[in-house]
Amino acid sequence: MLGASLKEDVNQAEPQEEKRRFVLLTRLKQNKVAFFSLWFLLIVHFVVFVGPVLWPLSPDELTDVGALAPWTLQHPFGTDDLGRDVFARMLHGGRVTLLVGLCAMLFSLIIGTIIGACAGFFGKVVESILMRITEAMMAIPNFFFVLVALTVLGTTPVMVVVVIALTGWVEIARVVYGETLKWKEYEFVEAANAAGASARRILLKYVVPQILPSIIVSGTLAIAWAILTESAISYLGLGIQPPTPTWGNMLQNSQQYIWTAPILGVLPGVAITIVVLAYNFLGDGLRDALDPRFAKK
Amino acid sequence: MVRFLLNRFGQSIILLFIVTVITFFLINLAPGGPNGVMRMDASPEERQAMIERLGLDEPVIIRYFEWVGSALQGDLGTSFNSSEAVVQRIADRLPYTIELTVFTIIFSVAAGIILGVMSALKRGKATDHVINFSSVIGLSVPSFWLGLMLILLFSVELGWLPSSGVGPRGADFEFGGWLSHLAMPVLILSTTVLPNIVRFTRSSMLEVISQNYIRTARSKGAKEFVVLYVHSLRNALIPIISIIGVLIPRLLSGAVITEAIFGWTGIGTLIIEAANGRDYPLIMGITVVITLVVIVSNLVVDVVYSQVDPRVKNLA
Amino acid sequence: MRRKWWLFVTIVVMTMFLAACAYGGDEASEEAEGAEPESSGESTEGGSISIPIVADPTFNPWHPNAYAESNVINRVIFDGLTKPGKDLVPAPDLAESWETSEDGLTWTFNLRQDVKWHDGEDFTAEDVAFTFNEITLNEELGANSASYFGQVESVEAVDEYTVQFNLSSPVAALPAYLSFNTEVIPEHIFQGQDPWNLTSFNKENPVGTGPFKIKSYTSGQSVVLERNDDYFGDTAKLDEVEYKILPDANTHVAQLLSGELSIFALDDTSAVERIESADGVDVNGRDTNRFFWLIVNQQQERFQDVKVRQAMEYAMDRENIIDTVLQGYGTIANAGITPALSEYYTDDVKQYPYDPEQAKQLLAEAGWEDTDGDGFVDKDGENFEIVFDIGIQGDLEAIAQLVQQYLIDVGLDVELNTMDWNTMIDKVVIQRDYAMTLNWWRYPPDPDLKAYMHSDFADQGNNIPAYRSDEMDRLLEAGAETSSVEERKEIYTEAQKLMAEELPYMFLWYPQEVQVKRSNISGVPELAFGDTLHYIQEWYMEE
Repeated sequence: MLGASLKEDVNQAEPQEEKRRFVLLTRLKQNKVAFFSLWFLLIVHFVVFVGPVLWPLSPDELTDVGALAPWTLQHPFGTDDLGRDVFARMLHGGRVTLLVGLCAMLFSLIIGTIIGACAGFFGKVVESILMRITEAMMAIPNFFFVLVALTVLGTTPVMVVVVIALTGWVEIARVVYGETLKWKEYEFVEAANAAGASARRILLKYVVPQILPSIIVSGTLAIAWAILTESAISYLGLGIQPPTPTWGNMLQNSQQYIWTAPILGVLPGVAITIVVLAYNFLGDGLRDALDPRFAKK
Repeated sequence: MVRFLLNRFGQSIILLFIVTVITFFLINLAPGGPNGVMRMDASPEERQAMIERLGLDEPVIIRYFEWVGSALQGDLGTSFNSSEAVVQRIADRLPYTIELTVFTIIFSVAAGIILGVMSALKRGKATDHVINFSSVIGLSVPSFWLGLMLILLFSVELGWLPSSGVGPRGADFEFGGWLSHLAMPVLILSTTVLPNIVRFTRSSMLEVISQNYIRTARSKGAKEFVVLYVHSLRNALIPIISIIGVLIPRLLSGAVITEAIFGWTGIGTLIIEAANGRDYPLIMGITVVITLVVIVSNLVVDVVYSQVDPRVKNLA
Repeated sequence: MRRKWWLFVTIVVMTMFLAACAYGGDEASEEAEGAEPESSGESTEGGSISIPIVADPTFNPWHPNAYAESNVINRVIFDGLTKPGKDLVPAPDLAESWETSEDGLTWTFNLRQDVKWHDGEDFTAEDVAFTFNEITLNEELGANSASYFGQVESVEAVDEYTVQFNLSSPVAALPAYLSFNTEVIPEHIFQGQDPWNLTSFNKENPVGTGPFKIKSYTSGQSVVLERNDDYFGDTAKLDEVEYKILPDANTHVAQLLSGELSIFALDDTSAVERIESADGVDVNGRDTNRFFWLIVNQQQERFQDVKVRQAMEYAMDRENIIDTVLQGYGTIANAGITPALSEYYTDDVKQYPYDPEQAKQLLAEAGWEDTDGDGFVDKDGENFEIVFDIGIQGDLEAIAQLVQQYLIDVGLDVELNTMDWNTMIDKVVIQRDYAMTLNWWRYPPDPDLKAYMHSDFADQGNNIPAYRSDEMDRLLEAGAETSSVEERKEIYTEAQKLMAEELPYMFLWYPQEVQVKRSNISGVPELAFGDTLHYIQEWYMEE
């Protein structure tokens, strides 16, 4: 399948790559769900990054209304099991969760792009080594290793980000590899090659810009994946640890209150779900917008 | 075919080697130690005695080669924390994980194909949108949260389904009880793969429908039912076999969480126990076995695929 | 046509699935309900109960990996020389009576003569001598609880039914230690075997002397014990005791409410409100021999000043922590001897009510004041920064977060550092590489706290805060060696006063165990759950 579509694209003589990037946003606008998701995400990010500055209560400090207090104007989501303001914790937790997602995504993008682009561009031995590694990574049920690594090495935020990124780059590497293979056949790349430009220059100047849209799509989906993974490892108690709130560890903590205060688990659960949902819709929308075949239909 | 298998075998050996080296050194060099050594009220003498008993006073590198030596003879050592053979402990638990994943695959493939085909046939219509939308939701919900919500609904509120465990086994086995214990875990685990199967079926179905021979069949006046099943679906299904191979590692990863939520005593709960208790031989054993399971299942999928799809057969 | 067909398939599949679920669910609950009437039969005798455990057990009380999940089984299958009496004073079990010599260096135990192992062999003094000499006192084995018997030099079988413990120095608490996870195992099975790797015993088929014997064990599922009709005491009234292996605490609650579990100690009190409101379940608070503590590493100079420790004790609103985290099941502690040891416990010691102002005052007296106005106290230009290490287990993390807030409020710059349990032990207990930590001790029913506060154990061992005081050493030694209860009372009253004054540990509270039980089970003595198991033969089901 990959082979077939590849050939098809190479046959289209003139690359419309210049237009492509600008067209992206216009096409995205036609996809209402994706466009709405984009706006929604912008708002959510604004709220969790700016909100904590505006909301006067600290996520750690104990309020004077006691534990598990009901929803009031002063504490819109009540207080948690220890008597802290849930609204403040949701804001701060969102900030940490989204930051972890963004950092892990960036980190996986860097690894994935380097490996994918090198494998695709240099071919031969480099290609076979890098792609074997990629395949091996795909074949391992990596959650087993994530679990062991985080248990024994500890769960600092940096470690959490690194471990998520180390298991998340594989998809990206495959996409970038495929795209690089495609683009290196184009005349302008070959011309640059003939003109004696260095490999690094060709990669950075000619190839990477062409595959940037695909990278953006992968990145969008990678954030969704990273946020979900963070919450999953939090469930096992291996995510970022309290008192630093994250939606994941708030959700995990709520588990023991499933009998007495189930609402504690609903808020972070819904928050994670809709943010991941929005990222997935956005990613799908971007992918469709990039693919002329889909866009036409 | 033989060359293909040999090639695969070679790659698997290398993969296993790398995986074991990384895991072994990771766990042995990290702080903390096996439960027996790390008992809070143990005296320093008791601790030292345990370290010597478990052979942990030897250098890590020597221990690794000793481990490889006996592993090659099929001996994965003795679990630090239960003194049972690691092979035995894994053999006790692995069947449950296999049961869970196999039934999840069956359920997901069945449901995925039905939904995928429906979605393809109704492309652009409401059904298609609903199915697409649900797939994305399925991909976006944290599976453990969904699991907890299901427990809250079916076990706590309604009291229909047991919240935990694998149900009575052996002499007490009884079909209804078994199914009721399996239902929620399978449902939750399938959220990790079902959306992919739906999407994949949909696109592969769309592709097949647009092919010439289907149009030919239709124009020849074949019944819609025959066109759909004899011609389209059969050809659309072939690629789905290949995607199962890709999804197996993901299923096993998902099984760790699913087993943790539902107290399903498979290999996922065992790895959690082993990691928390720093049971080095057990961690290593599970690592090897789980990697082998993936290698073997991928191989089976490849072989089946090559038998079904003539194009691949020729390539191999 | 086509549409209908799809609709049909979908409906069929969905219905089958739902029907299967519903059918299975009914089946399961019927089964749970069915168990009781079926087995209650004609009389109140018989029936079976279920107890949750969190992991696979090891049927050997001395095995280094036998933890709580194994203890609750082992004390039913096996017997010790003594057991905790209903007043927590050691009571006869395998030993009928015991006495100590004038100098306190030998203890003689007279054993019952009517005891048989589950396999029919006779129980004799040789079994006791073997258990202690070959297992407990064999240093290479590193047996569980061996540290309690450090002063035991040898155990002799004087005749078939008399054993003598020879000590290097007097240990008044010996009968109490012998009641605490130190059950006797059969010589005729262990002779010449590696006691830790004898899986046919430890993991499959244990042979004890207790009121119940093993019926079946499935890893990851359950352990079923059946009544031992040849038990030396009153034969048990129940037919079977099932231990269900269920790692998740929420499942315990769910199964208690549905009647699938009978009795246990609730680890996580957050669900207690829900359980209290349920019908058919009793909830009881029971005193246990545990105390929670916050400690600072007294190897560091800044923590050697008792004023700093007292300031921290004043800074914490312990009442509030008990209310929020423990749902009220706990008593403020100012020393280490618990109210469960009612003979020795006193509350006539220095008290530390919540008083942040007093805390700040004490810190100022110790030279720590907020001179730069950043909210944290400082001395010689440096803030009082403390890294607070916490192992992840149970409520510790939640408690630590509250403690952290209280300490920050009085100007201490406390940073929480959570880590997995084994890493914590390595760092805190073994390496002593920590500044502050929080945890708890559980100890046998005897006030001897030497292991936790004596300077001999300050560098390695269980005096983790590295507290050193000649006065405390003297009192603890005197208490350990005196066998007269009256004299010990005086000594330990003085010791408790000193503990409260000096705060070797910053004592937090004595937690109460929250014991939950289906109301139809009777005959359970009013003890902590672990201790009630020594009386399991008295339990019965009510109609």
